[in-house]
Amino acid sequence: MNGPLEPAPLPALESPGGPATCPPPSGPAQPGGLPFPRAYGKEQAIHGLLFLASTVAIVSVLFILAYIFSQALPIFPVAGVWEFLTGAEWNPTGVPPLYGTLALVVGTILVTLGAMVIAIPLSLGCAIFTAEIASSRVEGILKPAIELLAGIPSVVYGFFGLVILTEALRVTFDLASGLTWLAGSILLAIMTLPTITSVSEDALRAVPRELREGSLALGATKWQTVSRVVVPSALSGITAAVILGIGRAVGETMAVLMVCGNAAIIPSPIWNVFSPIRTLTATLGIETGEVAAGSDHYAALFGVALLLLVITLLVNMAAAWIIGRIQGGQVPAAPRQEGGAAPPWRRAAGAVGGIATAARRPAAVLLGCLAILAVDLALGHGAALAVLGAVTAYYLLKPRISPGITERFAFFLMAVATGIVLIVLGVILWDIIVHGLPAISWEFLTGYPRNLGRGGGIYPAIVGTLYLVAGAMLLALPVGICAAIYLVEYNREGRLVRLVRTGVDLLNGTPSIVFGLFGFAFLVIALDLGVSLIAGQVTLALMVLPTIIRTTEEALKSVPQGLREGSLALGATKWQTVSRVVVPPAMPGVLTGAILAVGRAAGETAPIMFTAVVFSQRFLPSSLLDPVMALPYHLYILATNVPGATTNQYGTALVLLTLVVGIYSIAIILRSHFRRTVRW
Amino acid sequence: MNTWYRSIPLILAGLLLLGIFASGCTGTPEQKPVPTTAATPVSTTAVPGQTTMPGSPAPTTPTAVTTAATPSQIAGKLKVTGSTTVLPIAQAEADAYMDKNLRADIQVAGGGSSVGVQAIGEGTADIGMSSREISDAEKAKYPGLNPIDVATDAVVVIVHPQNPVSALTLDQVRGLYNGTYQGWDSVGGTLTYPVTIGRDSTSGTRVYFSEAVMKNEKYRSDMREMNSNGAVKQTVAQTPGAVGYVGLGFIDSTVKPIAIYSNGKPVTPSIATILSHQYPISRPLYMITKGQPSGLAQDYLDFILSRDGQKIVADQGFVPLA
Repeated sequence: MNGPLEPAPLPALESPGGPATCPPPSGPAQPGGLPFPRAYGKEQAIHGLLFLASTVAIVSVLFILAYIFSQALPIFPVAGVWEFLTGAEWNPTGVPPLYGTLALVVGTILVTLGAMVIAIPLSLGCAIFTAEIASSRVEGILKPAIELLAGIPSVVYGFFGLVILTEALRVTFDLASGLTWLAGSILLAIMTLPTITSVSEDALRAVPRELREGSLALGATKWQTVSRVVVPSALSGITAAVILGIGRAVGETMAVLMVCGNAAIIPSPIWNVFSPIRTLTATLGIETGEVAAGSDHYAALFGVALLLLVITLLVNMAAAWIIGRIQGGQVPAAPRQEGGAAPPWRRAAGAVGGIATAARRPAAVLLGCLAILAVDLALGHGAALAVLGAVTAYYLLKPRISPGITERFAFFLMAVATGIVLIVLGVILWDIIVHGLPAISWEFLTGYPRNLGRGGGIYPAIVGTLYLVAGAMLLALPVGICAAIYLVEYNREGRLVRLVRTGVDLLNGTPSIVFGLFGFAFLVIALDLGVSLIAGQVTLALMVLPTIIRTTEEALKSVPQGLREGSLALGATKWQTVSRVVVPPAMPGVLTGAILAVGRAAGETAPIMFTAVVFSQRFLPSSLLDPVMALPYHLYILATNVPGATTNQYGTALVLLTLVVGIYSIAIILRSHFRRTVRW
Repeated sequence: MNTWYRSIPLILAGLLLLGIFASGCTGTPEQKPVPTTAATPVSTTAVPGQTTMPGSPAPTTPTAVTTAATPSQIAGKLKVTGSTTVLPIAQAEADAYMDKNLRADIQVAGGGSSVGVQAIGEGTADIGMSSREISDAEKAKYPGLNPIDVATDAVVVIVHPQNPVSALTLDQVRGLYNGTYQGWDSVGGTLTYPVTIGRDSTSGTRVYFSEAVMKNEKYRSDMREMNSNGAVKQTVAQTPGAVGYVGLGFIDSTVKPIAIYSNGKPVTPSIATILSHQYPISRPLYMITKGQPSGLAQDYLDFILSRDGQKIVADQGFVPLA
């Protein structure tokens, strides 16, 4: 018996134990450090600093929410709250104008639902394959490849969707037009895949090794271990991943409006995936730029943004409820806060074996329903019935099938899911590279644009994008990470923290164009920064802040409580514990969040469109108050408003992609460095 | 140990790439850009009977078209922002202007007509661009805005190149867009369903189209809405039953422009037919200043309104003022 108790605690104490017993850097050769006033002062200062960071983060979250609310308010007396919510017709420029959002809300829900039906099985399969099955070499290819998908700017996805996806759907299903709900769902699924996969993979990886070893030692197969011990233990993180994914899907603007058709109708019948559909974000995306500020229509659009927040809120509440139900009979993988006594249900659930029972049923049923729906959408009712029959047959025959066969079948499915993801990535990359490569030349990379970007180069746009992303990260990373550390390590899991987390999740689901409008109204006009580099950096920082806070929180929570207690018991101060014991093992997760954030910041058009960019420049910006060129915006204008610039358009996409990949690879090298050095 | 499944994704991906290589890059129905029209996007083949400029300097509106084509050497920065439709004009004019006045730095940004009006109203830009008229709400909020008509944008109805229909009356176009016709056969085409592609409800093009063509009637409920000329063109180019409308500059060989009946005979959209008011649907584009422009802004606007400036307007696929 290779008992889980024997080997596991030893490495756990060894690696963090070393640094934790080191003297604090301030006091020379004084073990411990708490009783000394200097160290105490330092602790207080750090505590204050973290508090400040989280205050900044929370205040900006609340501020943006309040801003959206205040801008939306005027529409309700005009249109009537009930009419606004249940009116079937959205025709704000008609006579009289109609502001009914029902079709838009239904559209958003349907598109997101469709996207999740496709994305959740694929992402989970991919995450499980990467984290649990693949050899380290395959994993070394897979993880960056999936993160690459996150780095593709949404404008590129939009054009990929418009040119290839809708055309493929039109031909395959012999439709009049491929601009459909299905196209939107597929595209959103591709876009949310990297988020859900990366975050849930980190969650799987964070499950302590003892659990796996314990399960294997009891004679479970690898698949039984994965499906009944590892996945349920990681369920909190996986749910967070799905919420992040839904947030991205609900809030995505630029891509979805290119492929959905944007007809504000409710599909008839409701499951008609070939109907055009219009989402709340698409409405914002296509109407906001041209609408007169201060008009009823303008307020109605903020009302739409408010509705998006409400939907996100409902999703989060539903998720919290689900997690609560699931954890009801489960030992949490990483018991959370020190200090407070564990709630009774945590104490009650004791043995490793208890994990399986409660969590398996609802999760499996949910996944099964989603998968069958996916088959139904993709292949028709006959195929769905066939799958349903196969599943039923499997459950009836289950007692007779050996665990080995089940395992092989399951792993095969995981591998297929991963394969599909890789194929999608391959097709998109291929499209960009084949069309973009002819544009790449020395002049293109180092020259200035001529003839509206049809000729010349994009050097100022490359520099501008680097400035924007670097500035946004310099602002958002420290604030976001410090805020997350404060919320997780220095604060009890109370009502306030939950409130903040809800706010953060809400902001995560807010479409980027709302950040753009906020930046324009507040930074550009109210603070009189003008269209400038600094305004764009702050706007982007605000946009990625929720992602960074949320992923950092999850990474910190996944560090076992025992490490903290061990460190504190050895006399380390709070900050020593946090900085040397908790943060290092959480670093890979934090970096994943940062990577996703960089990809998003580099590729977004809407937030910088109103705040920071100009179309063409002859001089590089000389101060933070100068406007800049940026690659995604350049790409957007070339694709939409400059005829005859297809080659340079793809060239710009290729450069943007390469840039993001460059930034990623630095982060990935750092992460693998951390992963090598820290294990427990 | 059975580890064969570990390599499945890689094998699948490899097979796919092989397939793409073997089929020789046929994965995309993306059309080749027409190389000869790269600089001047108005394809002369697609718009027959069109000359680049109407023969002589038209003797109309002497206040609008000045002869001062040489910029003075006023130094400084000028921020121009607003409608993405007007952006190509503003940028091309700025490039030409800065080639002559090396001390000027004109920065052009897009974002939408409302951003343009708001920016000029709030003073964060020196010139705003708009593809629609200033609304009453905006006039009330920002008094003293001065819209200057700088160019004309034709609204060209386009269909898929394989569609046999080549000319329509405005009533027929309206019938397609309001749902009266459920098939192209009603207007002389084949028995296919008309997929109507429109612009978003706030775009200046759509507002104009609603008034001039639709007579403010309702659009059919399944009309697809796209938010840019480029997206409308792309969709029409790949959808056999589609009908859409775009600016003149977006016409190339991938889509077919529809002649519109005017006074009983079909008129092909072109700069010449629009200037002679034969082609019935076109609308003005504006640059907006706060009060009377002065200094660099005045010089830049004068340049746009000059003959050289209006030539650039035509080069970008828009219709010059005269």
